[in-house]
Amino acid sequence: MPQRVLLQTRELSKTFGSGASEVRAVEGVNLSIFEGELVLIMGPSGSGKTTLLSMLGTLLRPSAGHILIDGEDMYALADAALAALRARKIGFVFQAFNLLEALNVEENILFPARLGILGRSEVKKRMEGLLAQLGLDKRRKVLPKTLSGGEKQRVAIARALINRPPIVLADEPTGNLDSRKGQDVLMILHDIARDAGCAVVVVTHDPRAEDVADRILWLEDGALHDRKQEDHAWVRDPVCGMRVDAWTASIKYENKGRTFVFCSERCRMRFQAEPVAFAIHRESEKG
Amino acid sequence: MLKWSLKNLLAEPVRLLLSAAAVALSLMLVVFFSAVFEGESEQMVVYLEKMDADVWVMQKGVSNMHMATSMLWDWKADKIARLPGVENTAAILYFNGPVKIGGKDWFSYVIGLKPEMRRAGPWAMAEGAAFPGPGEAVIPEVIAKLTGVGLGDAITLVDRDLKVAGLSRETFSMSSALVFVSHEDLGRLLEGRDQYSYVMVYAKPDVPPAALATQIKAEIDKVNALPSAVFIENDRELALQMGSEIIQMMTLIGALLATVIIAFTAYTQVARKRRELAVIKALGFRPDQIYGAALFQSLTVIALALLLTFALSYTVLAALPALVPQINLAVRLRHFVSLVLLAVPMAILAALGAARTVQKVDPVTIFQD
Repeated sequence: MPQRVLLQTRELSKTFGSGASEVRAVEGVNLSIFEGELVLIMGPSGSGKTTLLSMLGTLLRPSAGHILIDGEDMYALADAALAALRARKIGFVFQAFNLLEALNVEENILFPARLGILGRSEVKKRMEGLLAQLGLDKRRKVLPKTLSGGEKQRVAIARALINRPPIVLADEPTGNLDSRKGQDVLMILHDIARDAGCAVVVVTHDPRAEDVADRILWLEDGALHDRKQEDHAWVRDPVCGMRVDAWTASIKYENKGRTFVFCSERCRMRFQAEPVAFAIHRESEKG
Repeated sequence: MLKWSLKNLLAEPVRLLLSAAAVALSLMLVVFFSAVFEGESEQMVVYLEKMDADVWVMQKGVSNMHMATSMLWDWKADKIARLPGVENTAAILYFNGPVKIGGKDWFSYVIGLKPEMRRAGPWAMAEGAAFPGPGEAVIPEVIAKLTGVGLGDAITLVDRDLKVAGLSRETFSMSSALVFVSHEDLGRLLEGRDQYSYVMVYAKPDVPPAALATQIKAEIDKVNALPSAVFIENDRELALQMGSEIIQMMTLIGALLATVIIAFTAYTQVARKRRELAVIKALGFRPDQIYGAALFQSLTVIALALLLTFALSYTVLAALPALVPQINLAVRLRHFVSLVLLAVPMAILAALGAARTVQKVDPVTIFQD
């Protein structure tokens, strides 16, 4: 069971612009994430997920509210101290992997180590452990351009973990991977939470991630809600036939009193052009 | 961080080499101008040095040779020669002005020699007679090569045609050439056949030049006498004054050009790595650490450029005088020391543009695809 709160937000808000053009991207978010917990943040596009993740990662200062890591108020710190703390406390995993192209696998993993608190020999030992754990042992000297997507993401995870951060933030970690490799990455993140006791926050659209999550949070219009994992309302996109969760889907279209749900804007536009042709044969409405 | 910086540079060796080569060319300009200036300055005093006199005596009020006019009665030269402490003397008549050789005017130091003053003549000959008789001239071999003039051809000294009797070596510079004629011809031209311009004095052993110069000034009326070292330094200083502003400007232009090229290299390196910079910032590196990396890249490019400059200077510049004989080049180690000293502020200046880009990189952009 989760014990210690590692990451906490209090009335966290972010506003962009001012006056008539003001946009409230995140509004009054209260959140506590415990050690050993893997939390998914889901929500429609433009709901504020990236803004929230940027603030949790101390990359973006909030307009109001607080973020506490291990009880310490992050944004009370000056930029330099914030950067130093970020290096020690937070590991990042990105959709686009974001490896440094000129450095090999080992060098990428070791890159943030000089900002950590581990000694040289400890870092070396840690890296060897991560290489073995993530199956990168034989790829340690190669450049990122020769790696597969799954390997790149594993290198990125190793880099995120090299300084033993208590918090790992992952932004669409399976977004650029096929289903098998995506599943591998999700299991690795799950293990990081379970075995290393990290608080892992994953922003994703990938419904497979729900299987490994301890908790799912739903962000919509800047506000956060808890959502039970079994809350699905599976329907089929009337155009392509893909399974879509009507509960979370953001691309919808009202036609003659019925709500149709789509996997993409392209499908919605095709539907709009010929609603009769698609609506008759598909069992796709909700509402 | 420095490894990332270096590996990024080395990941594209052609780009790195091209940048370094472009910077090296700019620095070569600086070295080239300095070497030309140095070579010309040295060449301008070569006659004074080769004469190896202890004391130079000239008209009162004159203290150098370059662009100067000095007239001394010949009896004063005789009197100097008889002074105690004087081993022997050599006197010359001197005029600086254009000499028409091969249809072109060459600004020259014209030295008028009497037959007994052979030691004041050319010290290295390529061809022909070393000592010009009446109606003859000894001109630099370089001018002969450039103009196609040879032995027996005519040259014009003001209104007088003279025949080329000899071609001398080490007597040419772009700003002045040494032309030797007979004292008789030059004396007629200057209406000073019973006069000299300078008297070179060779002291007896153990007589200090400074003491001898003082003695000459005390005993001979209306003359100036200077130890050779002072006299040569006066000429050299005058030459430096005349050229130093131009050289400084050329050095500045070369340095600015090199700085712009390095700045462009550093900026493009940084601009092309914006995403990686965002990642690095997100990982917790401070902007000053990233500026350090940009500066390191600038310093690496400039260090490579300096190596190329050294190599090119000792190969291309060394071969240049053979191809372009009118150029006197003197490449000196201190030119490179100056470049190395110049390199650090250049690199800092060049890294400023990159630093500004680093400052503007927002780490939040890493969340964008």
